[in-house]
Amino acid sequence: MGSGMPHYRPPTRSDIAQIDRTGRRILECVGVRILDSTYLDILRKAGARVDCDEQRVRFDGDLLDKVLTRAPSRFTLYSRDGKNDLQLGEGGVYFANGGRVFRILDMKTGGYRLTMLRDVANTATLVERLDHIRFYVIACEVHDMPPRNYHLNDFYHAFNRTAKHVMGGCGDVEGARQMHRLASLIAGGEEKLREKPFVSVITNPVSPLTIEMNTLNVLEFCAAHGIPVTCAPAPISGATAPATLAGTLAQMHAEALAGIAIAQILAPGARVIYSAVPMTMDLRRMELALGSVEMAIMNAATVQLGKHYKLPVYASGGITEAKRPDIQAGVEKSISSLTVAMAGADCVRLAAGILDSGNSISYEQFVIDNEIIGIIHRMLAGIKVTEDTLAFDVIEKVGPGGNYIAEDHTVEHMMTEFFYPELSVRHNFDVWEERGRPNMLSRASDVVRSILRENTEGLLDLDLTAEIARTNPGIYSI
Amino acid sequence: MNDFKALSEAISKGDINKAVAETKSALEAGISAQDILNQGLIATMNEVGDRYSKGLIFVPQMLRSAKTMQECTKLLKPYFQEGDVVSKGQVLMGTVRGDLHDIGKNLVSMMLEGAGFTITDLGVDVAPEIFVEKVREVEPDIVGMSALLSTTMPAMADTIEALQKAGLRKKVKIMIGGAPVTERYAQKIGADAYGSDAGSAVTRAKELLGIDRSEE
Ligand code: B12
Repeated sequence: MGSGMPHYRPPTRSDIAQIDRTGRRILECVGVRILDSTYLDILRKAGARVDCDEQRVRFDGDLLDKVLTRAPSRFTLYSRDGKNDLQLGEGGVYFANGGRVFRILDMKTGGYRLTMLRDVANTATLVERLDHIRFYVIACEVHDMPPRNYHLNDFYHAFNRTAKHVMGGCGDVEGARQMHRLASLIAGGEEKLREKPFVSVITNPVSPLTIEMNTLNVLEFCAAHGIPVTCAPAPISGATAPATLAGTLAQMHAEALAGIAIAQILAPGARVIYSAVPMTMDLRRMELALGSVEMAIMNAATVQLGKHYKLPVYASGGITEAKRPDIQAGVEKSISSLTVAMAGADCVRLAAGILDSGNSISYEQFVIDNEIIGIIHRMLAGIKVTEDTLAFDVIEKVGPGGNYIAEDHTVEHMMTEFFYPELSVRHNFDVWEERGRPNMLSRASDVVRSILRENTEGLLDLDLTAEIARTNPGIYSI
Repeated sequence: MNDFKALSEAISKGDINKAVAETKSALEAGISAQDILNQGLIATMNEVGDRYSKGLIFVPQMLRSAKTMQECTKLLKPYFQEGDVVSKGQVLMGTVRGDLHDIGKNLVSMMLEGAGFTITDLGVDVAPEIFVEKVREVEPDIVGMSALLSTTMPAMADTIEALQKAGLRKKVKIMIGGAPVTERYAQKIGADAYGSDAGSAVTRAKELLGIDRSEE
């Protein structure tokens, strides 16, 4: 996407260099704690300085640079139908919803309940239909099935409802195996999946500066099987990171680089995204503040830090503490999603559906966020200036005092020049009353209802579904 | 009445070095440890708590003051008979099995500590057996469990069951919390209390041990 906007870059170039230097210094002097002796061994053999008693791994600058250059600057997150292949590292900004909440605001009852398998299917259906959300992150925890075959099920119902790229957490390597077996079957073989992975996996280190065994197992499994993977630290300023934004960024940068470096040691060339979720707390009462302006600024800076290493970047926007799709949600989401998009993130995650600091979702919020993202995409597209758009000829033709309503020039450009919101109410007052006083939320509810009514069938074809069911008896239906 | 203005100010500011020095010089000046504790340390912490409740200071400031007070209390210990400077109670804290989230648990621990409880922190991913073992060893008044994943909440029930089996359930009060945890869930699994945030954790803990607010 050719961006007509000046990019938003909160720290200057030299500030970024300084944050980077501090991050590297942290890796060199403080190191990361790795809670597994096998990996400590592997990292020592690769040239890292390992202290087994402390379970600490330190990376010198030379080693870091050597392994980081193995990380690809660009790769594609594939869709299954080719309609939403996302070329990371090419300047495009792609938004996704957020994942793994445990609670949903159910508009039918107006109350909150635990999330179920059908919520995975329904949110995948929504994302499939909402054009501005370009890939699907498995949106919620499933509470109506036993833990066995968990990731077989959540990924299955995601794949069955959207052909867009699917991203999700796997818990442990067994979960990653379940996902991988299923995805290989759908791709028509492991090699085909490796060639065009339409699924990727999220992992997280634990701030400050700790990486746990399960995380490394999943990271290694994905890296080795060509599945794109993230290892996204989520440091919280004032709690698990310093109370200064620069300090949080420096620590986060060290954590993010460590994850990427380790992936490149385990599987050179692995498709890893530079990813992070720097967060803030309201230190008055130590309450999470994921909709804060500082969180938005830090996520923009995250993009700069990843781009400093020419890596595709995955940062976060669109989170809020608001418990309902309300004014706070609208304000916080718009500002942070825009900020991170303007910084030029390849992927903006958590940007749709999320409420309540990442604990809850609402279907309606997916639809509202889709509109916010649409507006942001329009902003990024900027103003096209050509002989034709400058419109001298039609200005001359209409002349003083006329109007442009029925001119060819108007008809030619009206579809592409403007963003047409589906939710914003633009009726005049009387029409608004006649239509029953709609508002953004009531309209979002209408959209949810119509999408879910019209899309009750799965997308996987029948033969494949039968084959999957035959080889995977552990799949539950919704 | 002694003058604890400088000590009080140092505690309010969370200036550990200054507060420790002031405590030492008060002792050297022959002021009784009991007076230093009551009129100096505890009186100041009550003020700090008040200021926090009114929103005048932030959590980190309050915790910093609490830590300062603890350092001063250490100096007074030798002047008391064992049991004289009683801790409000022993709390054994941990994040349950399978769960690595510890920010909330740590915050609760710090607030309890600030309020005068003694904490033994078992860390994260604590299996029921470990809780049992540590309850035997530490003999706490309260066991605090934290879970941030809806999927690890059942480990709280497992832990309670394990304590029951070990014959230890009646010896401790159990308090639970974490974002997905609810009052209802606490009742369902037979915990004694649920705390929605660090402040209410302190209130609940005091209630559990029958510590009256007026006693403070
Ligand atoms: C930070 C964070 C992480 C960090 C944790 C770092 C750390 N050192 O703790 C990292 C990145 C490592 C992480 C990892 C994961 N996380 Co996480 N995480 C969070 C996040 C954003 C904030 C949690 C937090 O620290 N809150 C701030 C503290 C202060 O609040 P609190 O914990 O609620 O505590 C307060 C009260 O609850 C109460 N309290 C807490 N404990 C206790 C105990 C007692 C006794 C009492 C009385 C009170 C009490 O008092 C506290 C103070 O007010 C939450 C979202 C959220 N909004 O909660 C997700 C969240 C909890 N994580 C989630 C998930 C899914 C994961 C992962 C599985 C991610 C993945 N890879 O897919 C892993 C799981 C790892 C594991 N096995 O535990 C989900 C959980 C969904 C669910 N099923 O319940 C959430 C809701 C976010 C999401 N949508 O993904 N996570």
